[in-house]
Amino acid sequence: MSAGARTLALSAAAMLSALAVGFVAILLTGKDAAEGYAGVLDGSFGSFEAVGETSVKAAVLTCTGLSVGIAFVVGLFNIGAEGQFIAGALAAAVVGRALHLPTALHVPLSLLAAAAGGALPALAAAWLKVRRGVHEVISTIMLNWVVIYTVQDWLVVGPLRAPSSSAEVSASGTAQIDVTAELPRFFEDSRLDVGLPIAVVLAVFAWFLLSRTVLGYEMRAVGANIEAARAAKIPVARRLYLAMALSGAFAGLGGAFLILGTEHHYPGVFRTGYGFDGIAVALVGSSHPLGVLVAAACFGALRAGATRLQLVGIHPSFAELIQGLAVLFVATRAPFAAVLDRAARALERARSARRGAAPPARKGDA
Amino acid sequence: MILALSILRSILDFAPPLVLAALGGVISERAGVVNIGLEGMMRVGAFFACWASFAWGSAWIGAAAGIAAGTAFAAAHALVSIHGRADQVVSGIALNLIALGLVTFLLEAVFGTTGTAPVETLPELPSLLGRSPYTYVALVAPFAVHGWLHLTVPGLRLRAVGEHPHAAATLGVSVARVRWAAVLAGGALAGLGGSSLSIAILHRFDNKMPAGLGFMALAAVVFGKWTPLGAFFASLFFALANAGVDAVRSAMPPSGPLADLHLDGILLAAPYLLTLALLAGFVGRAVPPAADGVPYDPEAKH
Repeated sequence: MSAGARTLALSAAAMLSALAVGFVAILLTGKDAAEGYAGVLDGSFGSFEAVGETSVKAAVLTCTGLSVGIAFVVGLFNIGAEGQFIAGALAAAVVGRALHLPTALHVPLSLLAAAAGGALPALAAAWLKVRRGVHEVISTIMLNWVVIYTVQDWLVVGPLRAPSSSAEVSASGTAQIDVTAELPRFFEDSRLDVGLPIAVVLAVFAWFLLSRTVLGYEMRAVGANIEAARAAKIPVARRLYLAMALSGAFAGLGGAFLILGTEHHYPGVFRTGYGFDGIAVALVGSSHPLGVLVAAACFGALRAGATRLQLVGIHPSFAELIQGLAVLFVATRAPFAAVLDRAARALERARSARRGAAPPARKGDA
Repeated sequence: MILALSILRSILDFAPPLVLAALGGVISERAGVVNIGLEGMMRVGAFFACWASFAWGSAWIGAAAGIAAGTAFAAAHALVSIHGRADQVVSGIALNLIALGLVTFLLEAVFGTTGTAPVETLPELPSLLGRSPYTYVALVAPFAVHGWLHLTVPGLRLRAVGEHPHAAATLGVSVARVRWAAVLAGGALAGLGGSSLSIAILHRFDNKMPAGLGFMALAAVVFGKWTPLGAFFASLFFALANAGVDAVRSAMPPSGPLADLHLDGILLAAPYLLTLALLAGFVGRAVPPAADGVPYDPEAKH
């Protein structure tokens, strides 16, 4: 079995096991698990509208998944995608409001601002790592909270809060963005917007960068063995900065998709978790841009469909449970790999038994 | 004076979850196992403590259930990261995600809500001089752990395993066993800390718990330079900051120029900024245990 197929099989096994455990958990509470799962499927792929919902969420998760994944490539664990996502979301909301331009300029500029906004905290973590030797796991966790509190408990409720008209006391969050900054949608009755195609382009860009360019090769070399990369005269620090800048930019774009595509302002209550989910997406997608795309589609469908679980009395945050279990199972590859290898061996034996005393298979025969 | 007293009082009330969870983090990380699952362990601790004390009508059973839940989560962390040699950060993140979903799931299955558990009154622990037993445990435990780490043989072994597991193994110490014990103890303390939140401090369980306290405990571990007493004082300091924010919030006029500044967001961010500044070396230097986060492979070269 090739390494790629093996990774794919392990991720699929982890995902299916997580779904199975979730199924049993629902059964144990005496609720109708089959109906619940059917609802998830229906809510994610069952209708034109549902597919639109899935793709909106998949686009955002692709961004945060790529964010975590590209940091993994240079050997950094970016737990700060959540904070970078929020910083990007705010930047998009501000530029979407402050500037008045035609759509062809306003949307790209807002996205660019979000990428820059997301890159900022990520670069801070990279600087702390390179110049001060601070482990990025700790610094990005701390930066998450710094961003969350300064954005949500200060900027959005204070300086950037929409001036509320006296009639409308409950208005919270920033002011609405201009219509020209909204992500164009393709259809009347679907929330599918240009976010998804942009996300796919980003994934292809990441794949091309990492596997077809010298820059990407050097980034992978840094991740594989930082000392060897240094010895080979690769500018290690610059590659780390680049990876983190891209990582933050991807996460920030995810935030922009949500603001420019769905929310149309930075809401007063914005607890997303997309950044943390990006970690699950990257791990299940084994940090490969195309794997991330597939994992994001799966988790996007799960998120979109999970609202249907309410029909059988299960909270949509059940999706978090499934994602957590999938991550845990991906982390504990060993038992899955053992089963997989045993199955592959048994298959091989069965094949050679059928062939009888035929000479050993040539390479590429199977 | 009255303000100082009331702040002292709220520190004594609010410090236990932070102190206990941070202490759990110190024990785990000093043995070489990174624990960013503290948030999740606190969460299950808080929930199961509420559930058990409600079901059995005893806060003591609630506290025990909190400890058990935290320990069970820690056992999963140990299984994955010690036995399976998986990435400890990944495992911790998985546990946080699972705790997030699982507790919401159970809250709905048991109490039929996803907000605040509809429990009228939770049984209370007896109070000593007006404080819950948690306060006294949180005041004594850091010193006990400090003494244990530095004055006893098991404590020395734990530190050795966290600094140089191969050397410890050469001397006949079972690295896996010591790490298992440390992770379980860490989970027990985090679970206990979580339980204090629901059954002793707020007397309820709401689904937002612990709202980042586990990450703040992690910050306290780092801010306290991975020592029990350091983590203790860092936790007290953060608890003071929290109490200060609460005091400012409640003293703040609901409107007017001061309220319009919304400074509590900045105050809430301050502990994390301080931890970053410390790590960056602007306020001294914090060095983690040498083998922190490194899976132990007996056959690896070193």
